[in-house]
Amino acid sequence: MCKLLGAILILLGCSYWGWKISSLYRKRTELFRFLQNGLTMLEAEINYTATPLPLALERVGRKSNRFCQALFLQAAHILQAQKTVSAGEAWQTGIAALAAEVPLSKEESEILQLFGYSLGGSDKEEQLKNIALTKKQLFIVQKKAEEEQGKKQKLCQYLSFCLGAVLVLLLI
Amino acid sequence: MAKVFFSNSSNSNYSNNNEQKSEECHKDTGDSTGHNRAKNNGEGQAPLTVTSLSWFQVLAPSIQQLVVDGLQPYLSEIEEIRLRIKRPLLFRLGDLELTVSKDRKITRRLEEGQLVSREDLDQTLQILSQHSLYAWEDEFKNGYLTIPGGHRVGIVGRAVIAKGMVKTLKEISGINYRIGRQILGCADKVLPFLLKNNRQLYHTLLVSPPQCGKTTLLRDIARQLSNGVEAFDFPGVNVGLVDERSEIAGMYQGEPQFQIGMRTDVLDACPKAQGMMMLIRSMSPQVLITDEIGKHEDLEAMYQALQAGVTVITTVHGDNVDELKQRPNLQTLLQWHFFERIIILSRRQGVGTIEKILDGRTMERVN
Repeated sequence: MCKLLGAILILLGCSYWGWKISSLYRKRTELFRFLQNGLTMLEAEINYTATPLPLALERVGRKSNRFCQALFLQAAHILQAQKTVSAGEAWQTGIAALAAEVPLSKEESEILQLFGYSLGGSDKEEQLKNIALTKKQLFIVQKKAEEEQGKKQKLCQYLSFCLGAVLVLLLI
Repeated sequence: MAKVFFSNSSNSNYSNNNEQKSEECHKDTGDSTGHNRAKNNGEGQAPLTVTSLSWFQVLAPSIQQLVVDGLQPYLSEIEEIRLRIKRPLLFRLGDLELTVSKDRKITRRLEEGQLVSREDLDQTLQILSQHSLYAWEDEFKNGYLTIPGGHRVGIVGRAVIAKGMVKTLKEISGINYRIGRQILGCADKVLPFLLKNNRQLYHTLLVSPPQCGKTTLLRDIARQLSNGVEAFDFPGVNVGLVDERSEIAGMYQGEPQFQIGMRTDVLDACPKAQGMMMLIRSMSPQVLITDEIGKHEDLEAMYQALQAGVTVITTVHGDNVDELKQRPNLQTLLQWHFFERIIILSRRQGVGTIEKILDGRTMERVN
């Protein structure tokens, strides 16, 4: 009886672990999709109402999903609280806050960093170009992440279940 | 007999005599702390603190430090702060120019002053623009922007030209903070000359060289005409204010930063002629107030106002009427006898000295 209970616990534990890892792939595709949405909102704030960045980033952050919120709100907070910090540096801390929630590859965080460098430092037209370029790059990253999700999500779940099963067999 | 409607800052000895100033610090962040502090100061209580000043908040931290160290006693008297690259930081108080030396002491010897660095300018610009140059494109094109509190900041640098027009400024080399002050009641002495009777007003022109307080006077005229003047049994009228340079009302994010009266409609940052016609059509004002006329299209707008029975009160740069007659557009206006009252200002006895008030038709003094 004890053996059966233990075996079930091991199987459940391993499956949960696998599910946890695979959900990261889902989160990543979601993140890139929402980031593009966020940038579209920022585009409207810049193009239509010419809202200064501290307020614009906060507004976008409030409307975004959880992960994007970390990025936009953190950057807005830094800009509001510290006068001498540049918009690029504030955006950088936003990226750090984001990376703490969702794993980002080097290439991905570079795209976001590059966006930060010219944030706020030029006229409307240039800002819009920068946003459009970053959105395009994020779209490509999103497609890659979706592919990865398709391949690896299932794999993770199967592997972790199999690992559990092997452990159970070994222990029996 | 010149009258002075401002307390005279240029003659005051700079020994913590803030109490002589009757000026009201404007509402800073929606509350009236600045205002109360200025008053308290006048009663010899808590000193005016930098944190209550809206313009202080938009200085670079390094400059803020210099103000705190050297200029605490003179806070309410600063009229201009000038940052010019690689040259000493300048504070203008009335006719006096001061700087802060490297050992943080206030001095009149400008060559000893702390030099303004590129970083100071860059930081100031970042704070002024809130890190968002795109949000201030038009302001940069025009070379100035309005900050909370209604103060104006002028900017110079290298112009970037596109299609023959200034697109923006780069390599910013100078920034000038002009601290606007509102002096409630400073129009008291001129108001009797503007009223034809307790319903009608004279078309009025204020003539003054720069920095003699025309805008401050104009602002108080707008406020009093809009609220009504009890002493003359004058009920308030609708006032249309075309504030092309955002100086009179000091609009910041859609809210006037100065008291301009309860019946005043403001067209902010709008070209004067166009704005006057828009207001006549849209807000049915009895009085149109605007500053610094002189372009050809202004004549047309003023003619329209005349047709619509709207009184115009406006200003022009100049020392006296003879000088105005040299300028084609103003000459035309004077020939029309458009203005029924001409008020000439100077700073002979301090900012806001009223030299004389003329009848625009006969050119004779009425005061």
